[in-house]
Amino acid sequence: MPPPNTPVDGTTTPQSTQPSQPAQSSQSSQSVSRPTSSIIMDASQVKTALVKMDYQAIDYVNPVDETLICPICRTAFHSPITTPCGHTFCAKCINRALERQRVCPIDRQPIDKTRDYRPIPLIIKEQLDRLEARCPNQGCDYVCARENLEAHYERHCEFTLVHCSKPSCDKLVARHLCSIEGQCMHEMTNCDFCLKPVAFVDLDAHWEQECEAAFATCPDCDASVSVVNNSMLKHIQQECPEAMAKCKWDGAGCRVTDKRRIVREHERNGCMYETVGRLLEQQAEDRRIIQDLTRRLASLEAVRDTRRRERRRDSAATINDRTATATAAGGSLTNPTTSTSTPADSTTWESPHNYMLAQFERLESHMEELREMVCEMDMRQSASFLHHSKQVADRFLELGDKVGVLSMHTKWLLNMQYMQRNAQLRAANAASLAAAAAGAGGAGLSGGSDGLNHGGESSSGAGSSSDSGLRYQGSRRGSEGRIENLTRL
Amino acid sequence: MSAPFAAKRLGKELQKISNSLPPGIELVSADNFEEWLLDIRVLDDNPLYRNEIYRLRFRFSSTYPIEPPEVVFVKLPDRPIPIHPHIYSNGIICLDLLGHQGWSPVQNVESVCMSLQSMLTGNSKNERPPGDEEFVRGNRLRPRDIEFYYHDNDV
Ligand SMILES: [Zn+2]
Ligand SMILES: [Zn+2]
Ligand SMILES: [Zn+2]
Ligand SMILES: [Zn+2]
Ligand SMILES: [Zn+2]
Ligand SMILES: [Zn+2]
Ligand SMILES: [Zn+2]
Repeated sequence: MPPPNTPVDGTTTPQSTQPSQPAQSSQSSQSVSRPTSSIIMDASQVKTALVKMDYQAIDYVNPVDETLICPICRTAFHSPITTPCGHTFCAKCINRALERQRVCPIDRQPIDKTRDYRPIPLIIKEQLDRLEARCPNQGCDYVCARENLEAHYERHCEFTLVHCSKPSCDKLVARHLCSIEGQCMHEMTNCDFCLKPVAFVDLDAHWEQECEAAFATCPDCDASVSVVNNSMLKHIQQECPEAMAKCKWDGAGCRVTDKRRIVREHERNGCMYETVGRLLEQQAEDRRIIQDLTRRLASLEAVRDTRRRERRRDSAATINDRTATATAAGGSLTNPTTSTSTPADSTTWESPHNYMLAQFERLESHMEELREMVCEMDMRQSASFLHHSKQVADRFLELGDKVGVLSMHTKWLLNMQYMQRNAQLRAANAASLAAAAAGAGGAGLSGGSDGLNHGGESSSGAGSSSDSGLRYQGSRRGSEGRIENLTRL
Repeated sequence: MSAPFAAKRLGKELQKISNSLPPGIELVSADNFEEWLLDIRVLDDNPLYRNEIYRLRFRFSSTYPIEPPEVVFVKLPDRPIPIHPHIYSNGIICLDLLGHQGWSPVQNVESVCMSLQSMLTGNSKNERPPGDEEFVRGNRLRPRDIEFYYHDNDV
């Protein structure tokens, strides 16, 4: 992230990502002397984002499939890579993990350099691109395919942080707050209601949270209601329980007009005109559907007509061909099938409507078939899924047992080793003690590597010849001088 | 930048585990992204842990999940410290998964709880780690540093 107070840096970085935008580069080159550029440029359109979009902060409209989620950050992959062992992570996440331990976080296979990374399959990339994503900026509810979200964030989103419009101010400001060129939204103004000094950027928050003067008491219901942006009017017209309102079924003929609270009660208890109202609504809905269908039918007919014209042209051509060949064959026979096939198309259907109806019916039955197929497949799939997951669960149990047994064995083995080593040490200690007591003759008897060396060089005593022979075998890897020494013995 | 990374990941985890957790694991509190409390109990009939609930405390550093969380059992009037050859009587757990070598960033709070659950389930020894008393008396180290100490001395 470039420091916010370096306008040149801040505005030039995005150039590399969007090199095909001459307008932008000219803007950034002039960003030092922005007041002049403001005359030419529409600043709100080209101001670039200063903080890169945070993919981890994106919220997705639908739950993201587990296979598209990075096991490290637990969000949908962002520019993912695949390791040689076949595991996929966001590039950023795996790099971070490798800084600490150079192994795959899933199976602990060593991963050496970034050159080990492989690109992900295109199909995964496409799935990621197509995820329906929400703009991560607070206050923005823009939704689009994820591949287009960065463009929205960088160039269009009203809530993206950009440089303050005033060149001398190094603060950031949401794009929608800096529409006036040269106007610093961090400057103080006075609240319209309480007259306290507040920065422009903080006005909304001030009105929502602090300013008592921005709230007024509703004349009807005594509730405290914000007066910013005509909220009071909205309250009275749509919410206030004490304000006068008409029945919902006003359009169907109901004449009830009373305090909203009472009218609501009336509606809940069943307005006489409700049935009529609903019928009217239904009718309007039907009319809309009919209009829609008529429009679609018209377009279908148009398509059909052009098709038919094409086909007629084609078949006319084939008839010409065939009659040509038939006469060329020398026969005067007329081919009855070719002569009737063309009119058959147009005569089977008495009217275009019948034709369309038949088409609709065919499509409908087709749809029905498909629906049945889908149902069946769904059933089959869930059955097989249950079956499989049962198997997997069984396998897991089995594996768990095996792991338990293995760990038991390991513990036992380790314990054995430990005990053996202890016993050895104890024996060694005992032996050396005994040797010390017995004097120089028994010095060679002491076990351990130290004793071995010592014994090899100094034990010329008669009592330990067999002992030193044994030792010779044991110390083959020792220095040659010592071996010679021993053989001489 | 690393603190938000941990917070975001923990946010995701919290979202998931406040919806559903495996049986025997319950979220007690997660008011911030530094310390969470969870309760676990074993699901089978292991007589060592039957009818007991144990309280776990997770502490996250700003480098989580790259670095492991610090996980210990906490003693309360109704929450004892489970007896196990890898759990000291002050609640410190000696589990490879939680050490610097054994940890992997794909682990999470839920998977750690499940590992501890199965560690208890699979145990039949009614004993503490060797040297428990001296360790508990003398220890002033943090759990993450102790693990080394334990491994070095044991085998
Ligand atoms: Zn990731
Ligand atoms: Zn791997
Ligand atoms: Zn947006
Ligand atoms: Zn400013
Ligand atoms: Zn005010
Ligand atoms: Zn009111
Ligand atoms: Zn009415």
